[in-house]
Amino acid sequence: MKQWIARWEAYWFPTTPVVDLALCRIIAVASQLTFFFPSLDEHLNLLRKNPVFIEPQVLIRAIAAVVPRGEFFTPSVFTALYWVTAIAGVATLIGLATRVAAFVFALGTWIFVSHLFSYGDRHHTEAIFCIFLLLLAFSPSGDALSVDAYVRRRRGRPRSAVADTAIWPLKLVHVLLGLSYFSAGMSKLITGGPRWLNGYTLQNHAFQDAVYRGFPVGMWLAQHHHLAILLSVFTIFFEVFFFVSLFVPWTQPLFFMGGLLFHIGLYATGGYDFFQHMVLLVLLLLFVAPPWWRTWLGRYLEVLRPRSRRAAQVHGPS
Amino acid sequence: MPRNRALISTAIVLVVGLHAVPVLYRSERGTLWPFMQYSMYKGSSPPGPIHAEKRRLIAVTARGAEQEVTPMVLGLSVTVLRSSLRSMAAGDSAAAGYLMHRLNRGRAEPFVELRVESTTYVVSDAGIVRTAAPPIAYHAEPSETR
Repeated sequence: MKQWIARWEAYWFPTTPVVDLALCRIIAVASQLTFFFPSLDEHLNLLRKNPVFIEPQVLIRAIAAVVPRGEFFTPSVFTALYWVTAIAGVATLIGLATRVAAFVFALGTWIFVSHLFSYGDRHHTEAIFCIFLLLLAFSPSGDALSVDAYVRRRRGRPRSAVADTAIWPLKLVHVLLGLSYFSAGMSKLITGGPRWLNGYTLQNHAFQDAVYRGFPVGMWLAQHHHLAILLSVFTIFFEVFFFVSLFVPWTQPLFFMGGLLFHIGLYATGGYDFFQHMVLLVLLLLFVAPPWWRTWLGRYLEVLRPRSRRAAQVHGPS
Repeated sequence: MPRNRALISTAIVLVVGLHAVPVLYRSERGTLWPFMQYSMYKGSSPPGPIHAEKRRLIAVTARGAEQEVTPMVLGLSVTVLRSSLRSMAAGDSAAAGYLMHRLNRGRAEPFVELRVESTTYVVSDAGIVRTAAPPIAYHAEPSETR
């Protein structure tokens, strides 16, 4: 048992620089604020045109159980919530009262996404990213590159530059991505069977969405059967075996870069906008991938150079 | 194990474990966001023609004014609109009645007709062939237009 606990701790709680997590906070929150922030008009439109929810999400049901719909789910409350979430997002970005701000920001974001998905529609793109935003509130993401850290330094009480709780949110994201890709790949193999790899399946999926959304690359792909077979094999291989990167660290850069190419390809062909997954894969590529990769990358990214050596020391050889 | 590590470990197990709920609890699998199952585009196609349908919905008032029905106009998501359009293109007048009722709620000048316009796209050796189908019109019940 002790051996298992030691393995668990070695995996989830290695000592890492807190500046890594701080950079993750800045990249993730800036992305959410600039690219993925909810549209207030869309939510007000839903509230005005729908007297009832069609299929309320669990968070919306929980809120409605405490506060009557007519009092919380109103344009005025949602407008206030929108601005509170935005202000909390800016505070998280600059690291002001980081833990509280990150919690409010994540909660506000969760409410908006849950509300959007309570009218008979839901998508997968936001889920893991939103979980990561919430995890920032429960980790030392504000211990560097933040107003909080600056104030502590000025008061002569700086926190350590390394911590054993500064990598687990990213590692959990890695596990969740592994689960989600595996689930997606296996459902294709179980439901679609080997026929999923016949090329016609991918041609039809790509063509239908490319025509609907007006994506010429997808229309072009739909006319190339052998390429569709190759991409089908790549899709299944990537989705089913992504989890290998959890256990074989040297494969991580390959799977993370493969994932980026996968999502860029999905967007180009059918407009499947998994941008949040792309941000998470970039974070994994920068901060979780093994030291050999970071050392190599550090030669090209000046900002990582001093830390890549330190990381190699704290992670040990992969 | 220190207390904070124990708490974090519990949270990790909880977050991962909660992803099993939509798999095990099928009736609620669509309403447990952000804990979801990720079966996407799992259906497969047999060898055969590669085809797609593009549809749009036009609402018409008694004076003949036309407006394209978008998710924003309807107050529903694009997925719900596409699903309704599929049903209407197959002749489902109940779906048309539902959309008509939604669109006319609170409108000064109600719509009296919904028209589904469909175009079929097929991949052929000569490229993509477009064929427009005859539009399908649904008319409002008299009670809708008052």
